[in-house]
This record gives sequence, structure tokens and C-alpha cells, in this order.
Amino acid sequence: MKRSFAIAFALLAVGVYFGLIVTAGEQYLHADLSLGVSVVARTLIAFLSGLAAVIVFLGGDDIENYARPKILLVTGVLFLLVGSYFGLFVAPPEQFMGDTQRIMYVHVPTAWFALLAMTIGFVSAVVFLFNSDFVWDARMEGSIEVGVVFAFLLCCQGAIWAKPTWGVWWDWDPRLTTTAVLLFAFLGILALRRFVEDPVKRGIWSSVATIIAYVDVPIVYFSVKWWNSLHQQQSSPNTVSKPFWIPLRANAFGILLLMVAFIMLRARISALRLKHELAPPPLVEAQLGEAV
Amino acid sequence: MNGTVTGGWNFVIAAYSVTALVFVVYGVTLITRLREARNRASEER
Repeated sequence: MKRSFAIAFALLAVGVYFGLIVTAGEQYLHADLSLGVSVVARTLIAFLSGLAAVIVFLGGDDIENYARPKILLVTGVLFLLVGSYFGLFVAPPEQFMGDTQRIMYVHVPTAWFALLAMTIGFVSAVVFLFNSDFVWDARMEGSIEVGVVFAFLLCCQGAIWAKPTWGVWWDWDPRLTTTAVLLFAFLGILALRRFVEDPVKRGIWSSVATIIAYVDVPIVYFSVKWWNSLHQQQSSPNTVSKPFWIPLRANAFGILLLMVAFIMLRARISALRLKHELAPPPLVEAQLGEAV
Repeated sequence: MNGTVTGGWNFVIAAYSVTALVFVVYGVTLITRLREARNRASEER
């Protein structure tokens, strides 16, 4: 378990090196730290190693350990402070959106990790249905709640960005509508979990509901491609100017770490509640003791 | 009207403030709820 945490941090370090340090070296030190790796390959390595770090952090998580989420929280906040400093004070304003574009440095990573948190919830739901291990039920509840918080924040940031650029706080555009559906669908799953007292029924019903609600995640992602949307399409390193990379990526690593830390903390709360619910009542324990 | 957005710093500050507020409030509630759950569990033992 300790080793998995170290491996996850090593994977994260690889992602930070290729995603952030090489770019910072190019822009501020005029030094080539790329080790001969192309821009596209560096972006891919940063993305895949970040994703692998999340899988190892959560897959190898020891639910009894309370120090790890706190380490990730502190690291995430540090990344966010650096990213926000670059986003607010160092990066230049965008040609058409001006300073308003600085909202993207928090809005885009929030969108990525809202969808990722719900994906983790989906995976946890599938695993729980197969092995009935309540650790996965706790992870599912944790990741759904974090996904809902991130999706709510995403809608708030989007509304603040929409007002100066579109002239309205909200529009029933395909991307915005499907995101609102996603938020309320997963909020409904959390409500369902509150109403069902039996932990076994709660786990099964909410797993099935999560799998059904997850259908909306790819719809949210592809909505800007499938329909005529006001919302802009996904960006890539080819469509984003280099001075914008550092704040976007530093904030992305920061919000990624916050997401993992929040899921770990929330899963521990669920696990403690499940432990209480699944424990035999004291009377039964005493009777069992007498029978033995 | 030249197709560019002018000003906008108040919206930027609002977006960053909302983000910080949501992360801080949610983080604090998680730590508080976890502490309560651990205390309850240790009392039951």
C-alpha cells in the first residue's frame, strides 16, 4: 500500500515534468529540457501519467490511512496557487476574450475532473456489482459526491464566463443542458442513497443508477461536436498558445490532486458509516459468544 | 463593437473567488465530517 502511494507520486512527477517543467524551461529559462520528446508526445505522456497516477492513488488506497489525503490536499493547493499566480498575473490576455479568458484556467480543469470523478464513480459501481466489496461502494459514493460538487462549480464558473462573452448567464445550449442533466442525475443518486437504509440494497440500486446516469458523460463531452453549440469545441496543444499552457496545466494538476484527496476523504466517511451499519448488533454478538 | 471582450476583471475575480470558496468550504466540511465519523466509531468501540 505504501509502495503504491510512492508509485503514484512518481507517475505524477513524470506528468509534471513533461507537462509543466519542460514548458516552463522553454519559456522562462530558454532551456531545452524535453529529452528529445516531441510536443505531442509530451502532452500525451503528461495526460497518461496523470491518469495512471489517479488509478494507482485510488486503486491502491488504504482506507484506514488518514495522512495520505492530507498530503494530496496540500500538494494540490500548492499547484493551484502557482497556476493561479501565472493565470492571473503572468499569462497575457487572450486576443479576442481579453482578461475574461483567465477564467478558463480554472473552468477547463474543473470540467475535466468533474467528468473524471463521475467516471471513477461509474467504475466503482461496476466493480461493486461484480465483487460486492463495500470499499468500492464507499469509493462510488465519494466520487459521485465530488463529481457533483465539481459539476456545480463548473456551472457557476461557466455562468460567470458566459455573461461577458455571450451576454447571458445561462443558455439552453446542448453542452450546458447536458451538463445540468448530469449534475441533477448524480444529485438524484446521492438522494437515493440517503433514502435507502439497507446497505446492500443501497449499494446495488445506486450502482445501477450510476451506470445509467453515466450515459450522459460521453454525451456532455461530444455535445459540442454533435450539435450546433454556442460553447466552443475542445482545445488541444495546437489550438492553445504556449503562454497559456503553464497556468492551465498547473491548475489541472492542482485540481486533479484535490479531486483525488476529496474522493479519499469522502470514501473514508462512507467506509466508517458502512462499518457501523454492517456490524452485528451488540446483543447478537453476546449471544454468539454464549453459543461458542 | 469590434468583436473583442473588453474589461472583465470583475468576472475573473468572481470566478476565482467562487472556485476558492467551493474548494475550501467542501474541504473543511469533509475534514469535519471525517473527524465526527471517527469520534463516533471510537466511542462505539
